[in-house]
Order: sequence, then structure tokens, then C-alpha cells
Amino acid sequence: MSSYRLRVAAAAALFISCAFGAHAKPIAFANGTTVMGEYGAGSMTEVQAFYAPMYRYSIGAGHLILNGPDADDSADITYARFNYLPKRWNLESAQANVFVWGSLGGAHVARANDNEFAWNVGGQLDYETRRLYASLRTDLHESQAFSHRIDTLQLGVAPYAHDYNTLALWFVIQARQYTGGLYDGTEWAALLRLFKGNTWIEAGATQDGHLQSMLMFNF
Amino acid sequence: MKKINLLMALILFGSTVASAGTIEMKVNGLVCSFCAQGIEKTLRKNPATSDVLVSLENKVVAVSTKDGTDISDAELKKALTNAGYDVKEIQRTTHSMEVLRSQFEATK
Repeated sequence: MSSYRLRVAAAAALFISCAFGAHAKPIAFANGTTVMGEYGAGSMTEVQAFYAPMYRYSIGAGHLILNGPDADDSADITYARFNYLPKRWNLESAQANVFVWGSLGGAHVARANDNEFAWNVGGQLDYETRRLYASLRTDLHESQAFSHRIDTLQLGVAPYAHDYNTLALWFVIQARQYTGGLYDGTEWAALLRLFKGNTWIEAGATQDGHLQSMLMFNF
Repeated sequence: MKKINLLMALILFGSTVASAGTIEMKVNGLVCSFCAQGIEKTLRKNPATSDVLVSLENKVVAVSTKDGTDISDAELKKALTNAGYDVKEIQRTTHSMEVLRSQFEATK
């Protein structure tokens, strides 16, 4: 997909964000701990753990593995992260959020076979109702040896409106674009998302037939 | 006369405190059960809480208190605000939590 079409899709997502909704958040709730792991079709694998003293921010750490088409293109990044919620809109039947985060850490870069200082900034805009959601997320990872940005757009629909302590079921379409040579074009994925109680699980496949999955626990 | 008034006030106060109540709160932003866990977790920490009920469908969080205890509106509002939600209305009812639960079940 051309960058023009991706920009159009991103603009559409922003527009939809103003009318529909979104999900996976780096801050779940005050005094809550979030542990999550994501496998991104072989291009990225990430584990994260956060504690939120207040609903406005959380602190934690993570490990991200980025894999390019060549083994030399891979990087292992370990980081400490601060997540912040600068804005939340609580509407009668919807909620919207703006999250931002930043992290500092170290990366092992395969090509240089060396360890580098690495940093990251990112943000997420989301909006959700009980039946529809949209989120747009961007994550920039930088070091002397690499510059990777991962942009992810998710649009979802629930076949029924779940309630507290009942199983939530979502059908999600994801579009993801990597910069820095990790993946050419836009990677599309169709996902099935389930959550109940403190457990969230989603799994699906990309257009290349690779597994895309995520697991998250809040407690 | 003063003694009688004082006695009446004590009886009234005593009956108010002794009767466990149910408090219903209309809450904005209540769309995701995964995120609303924080509300239940926060409210259950209050020593006066006996039960908590969250209904996304009705946009209501209900709390029942233990006999002889109460939670002030200000305290409830603060708890929900600190959990990241907006309280629009607080209503104290005579409904038991069971009645409320049945009502909410019926609306599903």
C-alpha cells in the first residue's frame, strides 16, 4: 500500500475516532497492574508490565524484539517506560483517551553486534463505545544504529454489547506499518478479541498468514 | 423539652445509620468491563462497602453499605473520579442489591 493510501487510512481513522471507539491501554486503572505480551507476525514481539499509582499515569518496563527480513536487521530493546494520560473524555455512552509515553533503555543491534542506548516516544488516540471502537497508535524507537516507527490502526466491532463480568467479543481489523526496513508496505491483520474479568486475549492472522496475537492481564 | 428533642434526634440518627442502604451512581464513560474493574477494586477497599454492582448497560455503579455505616457522596465521587470516571448523579435508594441486580438482569 502506498504511503498516500496509508495517510488516507490514518486520516479516516482519526475521523472515525471522533465518532466510534478503542481499547488496549497502557494504563488500566488506579492501583492496577497490567502485564501484556504481543506477537506481531514475526516482525515484532513485545512484553510489558506496568503499575499505575493513579489513573493518569503508569510506570513499568518492557522488552521489544524487532525482526527485519534479514537476521542482521534485528534489534532487542529493553526499556523503562512512563505512560501518561493527558486527556480523557467520559461521555454518556463512550469514552475517548489520549495517551503518550516515553522510554529509555538499551538495545542490542545485530548488525553492529553491539549494545546501544535507545529511547522511545509514542502516543495513542482511542475512542470506544460498547459496540464500536477505533484506535490509532504510533511508536518511535530510536538509537544510533536504527530508527523504527510502528504505526498501528485498529477498527473493531462487537456483535453484542457486553456487560460487566460477561464475555466481550470483538472483531478487529488492524493495519500496521513499519519504517526502517522491518516490513514493506502495510501489514493487515484480522483479529478476534475476547476479554472477561481481568483477562484479555486476541489472536488472528496477517495477510501473509502469520500469527498476530496479544495477551493481557489487569490486576 | 430539650432532652426529648435530643432523644428524638438520637433515635432518628441511629435509625439512619443502622439501616444499610444502596447507593446508585450514574457514571459517564462506563463502556468497558476490562477498564471498569478499577471502580470495583476501589470501592471494595472502603471498609463500609458490603457489595458493589456495575452495570454497563444502565451506566450505573451501585454500592451497598454494611449495617451502621455509610459512605458520603463526596467520598464516592472522589473514588470514582480517581478511578478515571465522571459521576453524574448519586441516588440513595431503599432497593436491596438483589432487587437492583434482578432489575439490571431484566434489562439485558
